[in-house]
Amino acid sequence: MSRVSASASPPPRSVWDSVNPVRLIGELSETRYWMYLLLLPSALLITAVVLYPTVYGMQMSFREMRLNRPDLGTDWVLLKHYNRMINDPIFWLSLRNTAVWATSSIVLEFLIGLIAALALNRNLPGTKVLAVIILIPYFLPNVVAGHMWALMLDPRLGVINDVLVRIGWLDSYKAWFADPATAMAAAIVVETWHSFPFFTLLIMAGLKGIPTDLYKAADIDGAGPFAQLRLITLPMLKTIIAAAVILRVIGLVNSPDLLLILTSGGPGRSTQVLSLYAFQMAYKDFNFGYAGALSVVMFILLMGFAYIYIRLSKVNQD
Amino acid sequence: MAQTRSGSKLVWDIAAYAVLGLLAFICIFPLIWTFMTSIKVEEDIVTRDMVYFPTRFTFDWYVRLWSQSGYPVLVMNSLVVTSLTVLICLLTGTIASYAFARFSFAGRTHLMLAYLVVRMFPAVLMIIPLFIVMRNVGMLDSTWGLAVAYTSFLLPLFVWMLKGFFDAAPKELESAARIDGSTRIGAMLRIVIPIARNGLVATCVFVAIAAWNEYLFALMLTTSQGSRTWPVGLQLMVGEFQLPWGMLAAGGMISILPVIILFAIVQRVMVAGITAGAVKG
Repeated sequence: MSRVSASASPPPRSVWDSVNPVRLIGELSETRYWMYLLLLPSALLITAVVLYPTVYGMQMSFREMRLNRPDLGTDWVLLKHYNRMINDPIFWLSLRNTAVWATSSIVLEFLIGLIAALALNRNLPGTKVLAVIILIPYFLPNVVAGHMWALMLDPRLGVINDVLVRIGWLDSYKAWFADPATAMAAAIVVETWHSFPFFTLLIMAGLKGIPTDLYKAADIDGAGPFAQLRLITLPMLKTIIAAAVILRVIGLVNSPDLLLILTSGGPGRSTQVLSLYAFQMAYKDFNFGYAGALSVVMFILLMGFAYIYIRLSKVNQD
Repeated sequence: MAQTRSGSKLVWDIAAYAVLGLLAFICIFPLIWTFMTSIKVEEDIVTRDMVYFPTRFTFDWYVRLWSQSGYPVLVMNSLVVTSLTVLICLLTGTIASYAFARFSFAGRTHLMLAYLVVRMFPAVLMIIPLFIVMRNVGMLDSTWGLAVAYTSFLLPLFVWMLKGFFDAAPKELESAARIDGSTRIGAMLRIVIPIARNGLVATCVFVAIAAWNEYLFALMLTTSQGSRTWPVGLQLMVGEFQLPWGMLAAGGMISILPVIILFAIVQRVMVAGITAGAVKG
């Protein structure tokens, strides 16, 4: 082996060649380990900022950890936080609110996103501009989206109140975010406005991949538009819809941003969701142990949902 | 028969126009209304009779926001954090994405799946330990620390999205360069990256918008004016002043202007990239 390579070895290097970084990297890139070297920096970074904190957070949920009470120490308390959770009515309320928040938002976002994608997919003249406008909300920051809607729904100067009163749907201006009966619904409207373009985007991509022959055949067989939607479009989009729903559910359950900006969980606790409860537990009460336990439960619920959902929608069979 | 079919096609076309027109109006109206609020005078904002078509205009809210509220510092901090985030993703993510797109090796599928699953971790579950870890190593309340924290969810996204563009770049030119004696890294830098240039720009813009918009990590990981970003600063204003709608609207408009401009420039390539990544993922 060494004899073969010796006979084929290039002419001896100069001193500069053996330290020239460009040449060294070039040679390194010819080795078998090159792809692992390319992956190393990002893998290290992700380990440091995702995996390590996640593991740390999980073990934190079994410890006493209150940043404002250093006198309590950071001893292991085993299942103390989880026991507290079972008897914590706010946890159960947050769990219920999370289910309402995520389910309603997903259904609305999917339906509107699907309708928009189907309409855009007809490729009618002039709709390219409309497509760009329809995608804009998805790229706007939560903070600005929240303020825009808070302004429009304002109990004293909200334009939506004004319009609803003018057309006779309301008798007087309504404080949408101050009434426990409407706060969640109003927040869901804002969330739907903000994120339905995500479904439009993905479903549009999926629609481009469906062969048009299928629709021609269905036309000949006399299938109407709704039959075509049910028998061709939706089954063909199964994988992409499953992926979109899972990504969106993760986003909805995980990020309290919009609710934090719009209502902070109020009025009362009518818009308190699990992620918001966990965040406030850390940010306001500095009870990192309990906040960690809440996030772990959230994580487990999400993983369970993703697993069951993928099983039920039978994506793997394709 | 043919007539009824073209007739029903016409009905559906009209329905499509109606739906798209309505949705586009709903999507754009909050932006228009916020912009109008930002150039209305106070008396036209706080009024009993809604002013739909203002006759008086003012740039006072923008001037006040820029000169009185420390907004320039917030915007500057956001610019620094966004640039650092893009830089980190560019340096570590481009090569990783290239490795996934061009090489087959042991553990490739599992690693790629790991990069995808990482995106599913709850933000809250990461934020809390990140706060403690960053405090221990002195990165809390720094633009660097925040940028590193952002890579936790943006780097995996960057790698997946860019991989779609690398996959689409033809392999033949690269092979030709290799035959001509170019090293692998030479072929990557001189051939593949220039071909995938548009995709690279679009991916960077997508990450930049996400970093620019981010609120929750910034709220938790920054505590002072020195590193606070604009979303946190703007939200704090709600408490500081008595709901200054004109100023909030002005702040919102200034902050989303770069997003809208960047989105308009690269939207076509970016949309293709997001969907390509999603279809394959």
